[in-house]
Amino acid sequence: MSLDGPFFSRRAVLLTPLVLAAGCEREPKGPKKARFVIGMSQCNLGEPWRVQMNADIAAAAKEHPGIEVVFKDAQNDTLKQRAHVEELVAAKVDVLFVSPKEAQPLTEPIGKAFDAGLPVLVLDRAVLGERYTTFIGADNKKIGRAAGEWTKKVLGGKGKVVELKGLMTSTPGQDRSAGFREALAGSEIEIAFEADMKWLEPEARKEMDSALARLPKIDLVYAHNDPGAHGAYLAARAAGREKEMKFVGIDALPHEGVSYVEQGILDATFQYPTGGREAVDTALRILKGESVPKTITLGSRRFTKDDVKKGGERIE
Amino acid sequence: MSETPQHLETPAPRSPGKPAAWHHAPLARALVSLALVLALGVIFPAEGAFFRLGTHQGALRQASVVGILACGLLPVILAGGIDLSVGSVLGLSAVVAAKLSIHAGEPAWLSVLLVLGMGAACGAASGSVVAFARVQPFVATLAMMVFARGLAKTTSGGTKVATAVPGPDGVLRYVEVPPLFRALDAQVFGGNVAAVTLVFLAMAAIVGVVCARHRLGRYLYAVGGNEEAARLSGVPVRATKILAYVISGVCAAAAGICQAAQEQQGDPEAGVTYELTAIAMVVIGGTSLKGGRGGMGLTLLGVLTIGYLDKILSINAVPEASRLMLTGAIVIVAAVAQKNA
Repeated sequence: MSLDGPFFSRRAVLLTPLVLAAGCEREPKGPKKARFVIGMSQCNLGEPWRVQMNADIAAAAKEHPGIEVVFKDAQNDTLKQRAHVEELVAAKVDVLFVSPKEAQPLTEPIGKAFDAGLPVLVLDRAVLGERYTTFIGADNKKIGRAAGEWTKKVLGGKGKVVELKGLMTSTPGQDRSAGFREALAGSEIEIAFEADMKWLEPEARKEMDSALARLPKIDLVYAHNDPGAHGAYLAARAAGREKEMKFVGIDALPHEGVSYVEQGILDATFQYPTGGREAVDTALRILKGESVPKTITLGSRRFTKDDVKKGGERIE
Repeated sequence: MSETPQHLETPAPRSPGKPAAWHHAPLARALVSLALVLALGVIFPAEGAFFRLGTHQGALRQASVVGILACGLLPVILAGGIDLSVGSVLGLSAVVAAKLSIHAGEPAWLSVLLVLGMGAACGAASGSVVAFARVQPFVATLAMMVFARGLAKTTSGGTKVATAVPGPDGVLRYVEVPPLFRALDAQVFGGNVAAVTLVFLAMAAIVGVVCARHRLGRYLYAVGGNEEAARLSGVPVRATKILAYVISGVCAAAAGICQAAQEQQGDPEAGVTYELTAIAMVVIGGTSLKGGRGGMGLTLLGVLTIGYLDKILSINAVPEASRLMLTGAIVIVAAVAQKNA
């Protein structure tokens, strides 16, 4: 077994990753042909929900031939996102979209762009102060409350519930939990087992295994995201107990939660809208010279077996 | 390995100094660590959940995927290296396995073969960089860790590869869970053992025999014990190192298939930080990160120790923050115990 020789020269081995890395670098297309260019700074594309947000923006922009969108992915790095915002401003985009990773460090670059007269739409996570054009986002607490109300209704006001929480150091996790509990307050529904599954499906399955080992009867599983609810379902099915309980998730991405409801895996999922389409619509209104509201709170939809084919039901 | 010198048919493992002591003491200490964790379960049985058979089946099933990674890491660590890429290779393999068996509808044997081959290629790549370019294993496998994760995300298009398959018009259509995934997610022997646990035990047996009985195993100990001495006595150091990483890559690929089967989808984010748990399992068992000392028996005890600790904290619904601190504290206690072995 002789692997030595010209094919394995040290330099070649060292250079290969560099060449590969160089090949992966993608330059944004120049804003030459389009009439309007939207610059979109996404904080990370590791979460399917954010991939969906970009896809929603791209799909909405495609319906208007004059619009081009330049996407940037900061890979969960605040400073990188700061640089991206500055790059997009320097590239003279017509509208800037930012879905910030964190409020504090991005407030200043966004504010500077706004002060210079560039319309800035802040998506999903807010920045500090008022130096932006419009904030578009959904209300996690409201969605958690809707999930709680639905739980109360289908369980007839009493029963044992397992809550599989998202990362509890994150605001969506805290709000989805607080809203749910607010809705259940005063009913005879008991949260008999709760665990932090950190938004991860394998963790959810693990924690659900423990809930199943402890509780002889479970009426409903409320997970803070759909993959968590799916993991819980798989755990219950492995124990032969999936028929005993209902599974409820949040997010309702087309290829995740909604498709789980269609397949009969989840009983309900509550949409956490990305606002991608609303952002493009708002941008168009700005470009037409119309005035737009400072804050747009997105409505949510509930998808259950009965209405998933019709596109779910709007919740207020 | 046909060109290995004939006079080195049986190179002795590194002389451990005190022959009987190093082999027996770590084993005893690894057993004590496991016993302590199990005692924790007896003291905090979570309303009797700890004494139910299902809890133990669950603990074994949950430890299996990371356990397979630990089995693969053993040869690398014995040879004095480290492989940080196993978690990412797991994620990449989960995605590719799901693509092949769910989307492309390939037969189980072909999917498994291709994914294991890809794992071997990842291992061979890191191994070659370590052996030929003499890049430190930490750096070489760190690069592979980042690269494989990126490849997993590219291959999957950033989303999970699930049974909802998007058609060319963007409309989802649903396909059946492939037989490979159903078989691996099943409970066998009258529902008593998870299929993934059997895969784990099979991998442990194969790698264990290679390390303990095969010539490659002796080379691993020799390279890890003293690389220069091994080279001078005719051990094919480079080939040994590369093969160690190949074993690790194949194990990571097998773990990826098991992970995808249990999730019934290929998640490009699967296996993030699993490499750290797997390394902790190997080290807590008593295998030295400096190389040359340790074995599969110890690794299995390490897998059980961490697996049970995880399960006991979970059935007691210990809050996440306390869980992290407790795990850290117990890992340190076990590591210190091994250090003084």
